[in-house]
Amino acid sequence: MERLSQLRKHLAGDDPVERLTAKNSDDVVIVAAFRTAVTKGGKGKFKDVNSDVLLQKLIEGLFEQKLPPGFDKSLIEEVTVGNVLNPGAGANEHRAAMLAAGIPSSVPFLAINRQCSSGLMAVNDVANKILVGQIACGLAAGVESMSSNYGPSAMPKVSKSVLKHPEGAKCMIPMGITNENINSKFGISRTAQDEFASNSYQKAEKAVREGQFREEIIPIQVEVEDEDDENDDDDAPAKTKTITVDQDEGPRPNVTVESLGKLRPAFKKDGSTHAGNASQVSDGAAVVLLMRRNMAQDLNLPILGKYIACTTVGVPPEIMGVGPAYAIPAVLKLVDLPKEKVTVYEINEAFAGQALYCINKVGLDKNKVNPNGGAIALGHPLGCTGARQVSTIMRELKPGEIGVTSMCIGTGMGAAAVFARE
Amino acid sequence: MFKFQTNGFSGYAVRYSPFYDNKIAVATSANYGLVGNGRLYVLSIMDDGNIITDISYDTQDGLFGVAWSETNENHVLTSSGDGCVSLFDTTLKDYPVMKFTEHQREVFSVDWSNIDKNLFCSASWDGSVKVWSPGSNRNTSLLTLRSLASREEKTGRIEKPIPVVQPSQVPMSKTRPNIRNDNNDCVYDAKFSFHDPNIIMSCNSDSHLQLWDTRLPNPLFMDFVAHNGLEALSCDFNRYRPFVVASAGVDKLAKVWDTRMIQPNVHSRPPRALNKFMGHEFAIRKLAWSPHGPTQLLTCSYDMTVRVWNDSPSPTSRVGLLDGASQPHAPPCSKIFSAHTEFVMGCDWSLWGEPGWVVTTGWDEMVYVWNTQRLQ
Repeated sequence: MERLSQLRKHLAGDDPVERLTAKNSDDVVIVAAFRTAVTKGGKGKFKDVNSDVLLQKLIEGLFEQKLPPGFDKSLIEEVTVGNVLNPGAGANEHRAAMLAAGIPSSVPFLAINRQCSSGLMAVNDVANKILVGQIACGLAAGVESMSSNYGPSAMPKVSKSVLKHPEGAKCMIPMGITNENINSKFGISRTAQDEFASNSYQKAEKAVREGQFREEIIPIQVEVEDEDDENDDDDAPAKTKTITVDQDEGPRPNVTVESLGKLRPAFKKDGSTHAGNASQVSDGAAVVLLMRRNMAQDLNLPILGKYIACTTVGVPPEIMGVGPAYAIPAVLKLVDLPKEKVTVYEINEAFAGQALYCINKVGLDKNKVNPNGGAIALGHPLGCTGARQVSTIMRELKPGEIGVTSMCIGTGMGAAAVFARE
Repeated sequence: MFKFQTNGFSGYAVRYSPFYDNKIAVATSANYGLVGNGRLYVLSIMDDGNIITDISYDTQDGLFGVAWSETNENHVLTSSGDGCVSLFDTTLKDYPVMKFTEHQREVFSVDWSNIDKNLFCSASWDGSVKVWSPGSNRNTSLLTLRSLASREEKTGRIEKPIPVVQPSQVPMSKTRPNIRNDNNDCVYDAKFSFHDPNIIMSCNSDSHLQLWDTRLPNPLFMDFVAHNGLEALSCDFNRYRPFVVASAGVDKLAKVWDTRMIQPNVHSRPPRALNKFMGHEFAIRKLAWSPHGPTQLLTCSYDMTVRVWNDSPSPTSRVGLLDGASQPHAPPCSKIFSAHTEFVMGCDWSLWGEPGWVVTTGWDEMVYVWNTQRLQ
């Protein structure tokens, strides 16, 4: 029945999944997507290193362990790195890190910052340049050291005259309060949030236990200050030791609705957002190597997945967490794909309240969202998250399946992107 | 509208005679062409509108392609599922006068050259287009055009293989990309140019539209992905605009190309179509440019409709059409014919009389003769 199977293909074009997963020589494909472990901000294993070290070590690990030996680094025609908290989005130190990691200086560098979507924007930037033919291959990354750069210095400085405008002033609302606004405006109960958060912890803990993240994490070695240092002399340089970091620190066992119920609200006395149902402060980095398909084929590089589309939308700043609820339908409309045809949604859990709102508003099947837990359990290294989601979703999808990553963005935006696994 | 029923046989291809204004040849297959016999109908449209069978021939395997001879008004070519191309003389009963049996798999289309009238070409699922010269009583082909092999020769991809990376070194993906799938080069359609006797165009299941110059050592001189990686099922040369061709396929689009604007670089993005027609809800099975003017295009589709498009030369329809996400301008589809109740597989324009007469056939075992000008 060879003839039947051949003729059957004529009707294949009607299936949106087949249409989007079709392999064309000019597709933008992902040949590598990896990340570091995500560690706890301020006290985790990455607390003594800045984002540039994370980026350098991760890129080194990518070339040494994951790409074929002799991969010509000069084939890379753009390095785009997303980052939020470093001054100037890390334009200097991340350029230095990429050079230190062995990428030749002839390769240009771009620092990019669209808040929590910066890692995804880096992927989108490289993919778009490949699509229009400016480049054939680019490295996208996201990196954040909240240990080093989160604090008063990261506070925005907005001029008084701008703040006089009520809309402008809304951009100063702390993120936690924007989530409280969503909770009260759309009636999301504390119990529902705690249930969502404990679910995230349980999924992540299970995933870590089962080694689900082992494939996507590149272990990196960093120097940390030795805690056993008994020398009290502050002038003497602190003793350091080198450790290998290969495991996420965020997930923890035995988190339940009841245990979360004991936590006090963090932003408002009568609020419902607390440390247990909000994303964690974290350090981490992620890289995605993208190229045009015919180049990947010529180099005989295995193809992990295909970049299909990305969209960013704006939403009111005071409820910025609703971003994914508008970005996901927008990107699905762009590629004409029904939401049921998507196998996995990786939606950043900035807060349980906003994540729940978005899932319900779009009408997603909860079982398809963040199958290995989200930022509440895994942590949310701001600029890294968008790229981290790409490496995670590539392992969650089976060949031929389509996944969507999305996140809300401070000051009122949402981003979403569609990828296919091959 | 006139109609004829091909009882028990699903229509696959239909052609008007270039000699008589009322004769039609229809290639049909039993069991939707999936398995079993075929039948060639030679039909006459009578003055009272009735369509009668002049003669019919039963064949061993299903028939998928048909073409009239340009030299002998009684000769009809068919191509069938067993790889056989047969030449029938309608003055003789039962058996073909010549058989051409080189193809290894289904032959989906045959086309007789309008310029060098001694030649015809055939397109087969064995991945080749063959050129034949029946007039010299020769039943071996003159030339074989291999779609995949020629492309490889041209791009040099196979000749210098890069060492395969061991999966253990790159634990990223277990699947190898398969754009170069050797089993995916079924040629669906091949046509002779109306302007140059040496030029042949073909399209295949690998989405490629290919142009061949039979004088060249490697005849493949143009080759590009025309339908977003989905199968390209039909192609045709415009009779009035020498460099303009059209193709259609599983992406539901009919595209108009100016072959002068196709870049030869294999690493560049696929070329942009001059115009594209969106509207069919399923794959387009066959298309044909009008013989009466440079702009009208007839398409028939798995969505059971036949549509007539106007390839407007307006400059605004030619700019800003990005492949992919952005929507092209409103479809300039002027007519939709929806009498068929199953997949419409074949269509052709009449060369005769009042412009606009066409014939269509499909899996509903019907042949309809109708006028595109009179369609509401």
